[in-house]
Amino acid sequence: MRPAKFGALAITTVLVFAACSNTGSASGGGGGGKTITIGTELPMSGAETANGQPTANGVKLAIKQENAKGDIPGYTLAIEVEDDAVNGAHDPQQGATNMHTLVADTTVMGVVGPFNSSVAQAEIPISNAGGLLQCSPANTNTGLTYPPDSAQYRPTNPNKINYIRTAAPDSIQGPAGADYVYNDLKATSVYILDDTETFGVGVGDSFAAEFKKDGGTVTKRDSAPKSTTDYTPLFTAAAAAHPQAVYLAGTTPTGMGLALKQGRTVAGFETIPFMGPDGVADLGPGGTTGATITVAGSAAHDVFGTVAGIHDLPSGSTFVADYTTEFGSAPGAYSAAAYACAQVIIAGIKAAVTAGTTDPAAMREAVRAQATAAGNKFDTVVGSISFDKNGDITTPYMSFYKTDLTLDGGKGDWVYVKQQAFTDPNA
Amino acid sequence: MRVLRPAAVVIGALVVAFAILGIQQFENFLTLGAIYALVALGYTMVYGIIELINFAHGDVFMVSAFLSMWIITVPLGLADRPIDNPLQLTAVLVIVVLATMVFMGCIGVIIERFAYRPLRHAPRLAPLITAIGVSFILQNIIQAIFSTSPISVPQIFPKTKFEILGGSIGALNIFMVVVAIVLMVALQLFISRTRLGRAMRSTAQDREAAELMGVDINQTIAITFFIAAALAGSAGVIQGQYFGSIQYNLGFFAGLKAFTAAVLGGIGNTTGAAIGGFVIAFIEVFAAQVGLARWSEVAVFTVLILVLVFRPSGILGQALGERA
Amino acid sequence: MSAPPAVRNGSSGGLVALIRAHRSISVLVGWALVGALLPFIVLVPPFSTFQAQSLWIGGFANSGVFILLALGLNIVVGLAGLLDLGYAAFFAIGSYTYAFGASSFTGLHVPFWPMLLVGAFAAATFGILLGAPTLRLRGDYLAIVTLGFGEIVPAVFLNADTYTRGTNGIGGVAQPALPFLQFNFSDPVPFYVTMVAILAVVMVFVYRLQGSRLGRAWMAVREDELAAASSGVNTVTTKLLAFALGASTAGLAGVFNASKLGIVSPDQFGFAVSFTVLAMVVLGGMGNAWGVAIGAFTLYEIQSVVLKGLNQFFQQVQVPFLDTIDFVQYQFLLYGLALVAMMLLRPEGLFPSRRRQRELHQVSEDVADVPPPTAALGD
Repeated sequence: MRPAKFGALAITTVLVFAACSNTGSASGGGGGGKTITIGTELPMSGAETANGQPTANGVKLAIKQENAKGDIPGYTLAIEVEDDAVNGAHDPQQGATNMHTLVADTTVMGVVGPFNSSVAQAEIPISNAGGLLQCSPANTNTGLTYPPDSAQYRPTNPNKINYIRTAAPDSIQGPAGADYVYNDLKATSVYILDDTETFGVGVGDSFAAEFKKDGGTVTKRDSAPKSTTDYTPLFTAAAAAHPQAVYLAGTTPTGMGLALKQGRTVAGFETIPFMGPDGVADLGPGGTTGATITVAGSAAHDVFGTVAGIHDLPSGSTFVADYTTEFGSAPGAYSAAAYACAQVIIAGIKAAVTAGTTDPAAMREAVRAQATAAGNKFDTVVGSISFDKNGDITTPYMSFYKTDLTLDGGKGDWVYVKQQAFTDPNA
Repeated sequence: MRVLRPAAVVIGALVVAFAILGIQQFENFLTLGAIYALVALGYTMVYGIIELINFAHGDVFMVSAFLSMWIITVPLGLADRPIDNPLQLTAVLVIVVLATMVFMGCIGVIIERFAYRPLRHAPRLAPLITAIGVSFILQNIIQAIFSTSPISVPQIFPKTKFEILGGSIGALNIFMVVVAIVLMVALQLFISRTRLGRAMRSTAQDREAAELMGVDINQTIAITFFIAAALAGSAGVIQGQYFGSIQYNLGFFAGLKAFTAAVLGGIGNTTGAAIGGFVIAFIEVFAAQVGLARWSEVAVFTVLILVLVFRPSGILGQALGERA
Repeated sequence: MSAPPAVRNGSSGGLVALIRAHRSISVLVGWALVGALLPFIVLVPPFSTFQAQSLWIGGFANSGVFILLALGLNIVVGLAGLLDLGYAAFFAIGSYTYAFGASSFTGLHVPFWPMLLVGAFAAATFGILLGAPTLRLRGDYLAIVTLGFGEIVPAVFLNADTYTRGTNGIGGVAQPALPFLQFNFSDPVPFYVTMVAILAVVMVFVYRLQGSRLGRAWMAVREDELAAASSGVNTVTTKLLAFALGASTAGLAGVFNASKLGIVSPDQFGFAVSFTVLAMVVLGGMGNAWGVAIGAFTLYEIQSVVLKGLNQFFQQVQVPFLDTIDFVQYQFLLYGLALVAMMLLRPEGLFPSRRRQRELHQVSEDVADVPPPTAALGD
C-alpha cells in the first residue's frame, strides 16, 4: 500500500500548499476600494502562444492605463487570464470550463475572447446564461453571430445578445482575399488548400465563391488535416493545372506554414504568390516560435495575407509606442482589437458605476446592454466603432500585408500594404 | 538464380508505380517509402524477437529527426544552405548520419533496459502499456525542449536535380534511397551471415533453446533494439533533410503507418517490412494524387485491419522466426 | 440475490462481509453518500479557496464522464483482458448519436432520457462491429487494430461533412428536461445529480456482471483463452459482449457530455482521450470497479485543479525553476511517467482487485520462463 499512501500524502501536501497561497482570481492593482475584473479567455500555451499572449497583453495594457487614469470611483480594475489550450491546442471543453470559472467570479464584468471560433461555440451558451458580455477580437466564423444559426448558442436568454466581436467575419475575409488575388496580384487561377478546420474550410469556401464571381478559376481544392507531415504530393498533383496563385485557407498552427514551406519546393510553385487569411498572416517576425515566417523559412517570400482588423490606428494614437514600452515587443495582430474590446467593456462599467449600480448581476447586464445597444458608439484605439444587432462590428476592416525577407536583419517580417473598409451586410 | 524472380517482381512493381504516379510523385513515393521501410524494420525486428509492439518506436524516429537537426545546428553550426564542396558535404553527412544512428541506438538500448526488460515475464498487457507511456514521455520531452510548433531543419544537401523522363529527380532523393537500400542490405547480411545475427534469429525462433545453446539473451535483445533504433535514426535524418520541417507529433502517425507496413509485409520478416514500407507509401501518395488526402490515414488503417483479419501473416509470412 | 462471497483474506471484517453480500445495495448507498457529501466537502478549506462550490460541482459532473468511460474500459481491459486503445471512438458514437437525435442540426428533439439508452445501444452495436474483426487477434495486434478504429471513427465524422457538419461540429445540442428540474448552462447541480444516478446504476450493473457467469467467463478468457475454450466457454460471444458492454458506458458518457457542453465536434475524441482513460484504468486498478472510479476521479481532479494550483503556487512563491514550468501543459508527460512507473512497480494499480494482485505478483515470482503463447492468431 505504500505507493498509494505516498500518493495520497503527496496530493494532500500539494493541496495544502496550494490553498495557502491560492487567491482564486488574480490579485488586482493596488488602488482604492473594490475590484472589477475583466477576464481574458485565450489560448496561451503551446503552439498557440503567439496568438494568445499578445492579445491578452492588449487587455492588460488597457486595464493598466485605465487604472492610471483612475476615473472609475471606488473601483480598481483587475485582469483574470484563462488559458483554453490543452496539450498545445485550443480546446472547446477547456474553454467551457474557463467560461464557467469566469461566470462564477462575481467581480468579472466582461470577457475578452476567445480566439478560436470552435471554442466560442462552447462558450457563448455559458456566458449567455450568466448574462456576461463576451467580446472577441479574433473570431471570424459567421455562424456565431448571423441568424438563424447564432440562436442555437443562446438557449437560456435568446433575446439577449451577449457576444460581440471586432473582427471582420469570414464572409468578408475570404472574399477580400479573393479580390486581392484577382485584382492586385493579377492571378486568374488559384489552388486552394484548407486544413479541414472550422475556420479554414469556412474562409476557403467564401474565398472560392468570390474568386469565381470575379471571373477566376479554382484549379483544385484540397483538404489536409493538421496531422499531415507531407504536403508535397498534394502540390505535385496540383501543379499539373498550373495555378497562378495559392490560397492557404487555414492557420499556421494547423499546418499552413509547413504547407507553404513544402509547397514551394514543388516545381511550378517556387515563385507564384501564396495568400492566406489571418491564421497565416500572424504578423510574427522571423524567429518568433511558431510564426509563419519562422516555420517556412526561406520559402516565406511572396506571401500575402489578410488580417480581420484595421491597421491604421487613428492619428495621435500612442498605442504602438505604449505597447512596445510596456511589453518590450511590437503588438501582435490582435493586440489593438483586444484593447478596443477592453475599452468597450470599460465604457459599460463606467456608465454602470456612474448610474449607481452595485449589484454584480445588474452591472453585468448594464455592460452587456451598453455594448449591444443600437447606435452606441465607442471611441477606441481602433477608431470609433459600434456593433450591429447581431454583435458584429458595423465597420469591418480588412488589412493586407505581405512578407519581406530582407527585414529584421534577414529574418523577415510582414509589411503593411493597405487596408480596406467593408460594409456590414447585416447593419 | 534465386534472386532473379523477386528482383524482377520488384522492378516490375516500381515501373507500374512510376506509370501511375508520374515522375514528380514518384520522387515523393520513393522517399516516403524509404522512411517507412526503415522504421518498419525496427518494428518487425523487435516484434520478431520479443513479441512486443514497441509503441514508442515511432517516437524514437521522431526524436532522431530532432537529434539530427540539433547536430547540424549546434555542434556543427551549419546554416540552412546547401553545401557545395563535395568533400565537406560527405564529411558532414557521414557525421550526422553516424552520430544520429549511434546515439539513437543507445537510447533504444536504454529504453529496453529500463522499461521493457523488467517486464519480460509479465502479462502481455504490461509492456504494451509501458510502451505507450514511453511514447508520451518522449513526445513531451521534445515538446518541452523545442516547443510544439514545427521546427525548421537546415537542409544542407545541394538541390541539384537530374532531368529524367520529362521531370526531375533530386540528388537528395537518390542519395536517400541509396542509403536506405544499403542499410537494408547490410541488415540482411548481418542477420543471415554473422554470429550475432544467428543469435537474433535463434532467439526469435525459440528463446529457451537459444539460451540452452549458449546465446546471451539479454545481449541479443539489446543489440536488436540498438539496430532497430539506429535504423529509425537514419530515417529521421532523411525526414529532416527531405521535408525540412519536424514536429513533436511526427512519430505518432508515421509510427502507425510504419507498423502497418511491417504487418503488411509479414511481422518478423525484414524483407517484408521493407516492401511493406513502399506499399504504404504508394497508398499515401496515390491518395494525395487523386485528391483523397483527407482519407489517407483511414485508408492505411483500413489496410492494417484487413490484413490482420484476413491474412495476419502478411504478404511474405514470417521468416525471422517461425511463427504461426 | 447477492453476488457470491469473494475469497476472503485475513482483513475482512463484518462490515466488509456485509457489503460483499449485498453488493448492489451497498453500491447504491455508497454513491448516494458520495453524491451527497462531495458538494459539502468542497465548502471546507482548503477546497473552498480553490474555486466556488458551483465550479467544483460542475467539475464533478465532468469527472463523472471520465468515470463512466473508465468503468467501460475496465470491462474491456480489466475484466476481459482486451487492450483497447481506441476507446474514444465509442464516446464519439454516443455523442454524435445524441447530437443527431436532439439538436438544431437535424431538427429532431428526442428527449435526453430515452436517448441515453439509444446512445448506449448505438455504442454497443459499434462495439460489436469493431470488436468482431479482432476476435482472432492476440493482445498486441488487438491493441493496434483498436487504435486504428479509434482514429478512423473521428476521421469519418470529420470528413463526412454533409452528414456531420464536419469540422464545425454540431451545435445547439439540447439539454435534458425534467418537469421539476431545470438543466441549463448556469446551474451544474441537475447535471451532477443525474451523473451520480447514472454512475450508481452503471456500477450496480458492473458488479452484477462481474459476479455472473459472463464475468467469470471474461476472467477465464483473460487468463488463458485456450483453456477457457476447452472448458466450454464461448470465447466469441464472451469477447463480443465485453466490447459491447464496455462500449455502452462510453455511449452513456457521450450522450451526457454532449448535452452538458451543447456542442459535439470531432476534435473532442482524439487519442489523448483514449490514452487518458487508459491511464485512469491502469492507475486505478484494472478489474476493480471502485478502484477505477477513484482513479478516474483523482486523475481528472489532478488534471483540472491540482496542476493549475501547482502553477499558481510555484509562481507566487517564486521557486526558481519550478515557476517556469506550466504543469498543465505537461500533464501527459506525468501520465506517461506514471504509467511506466506503475507497470514497473505496481501493475495491479493503486486499488487493485485482490485477484489481479495475486496474479501479477505470482507471475513475476515464477521461475519457469515459459514464453507467452506465440500464435499471432489466438486459436
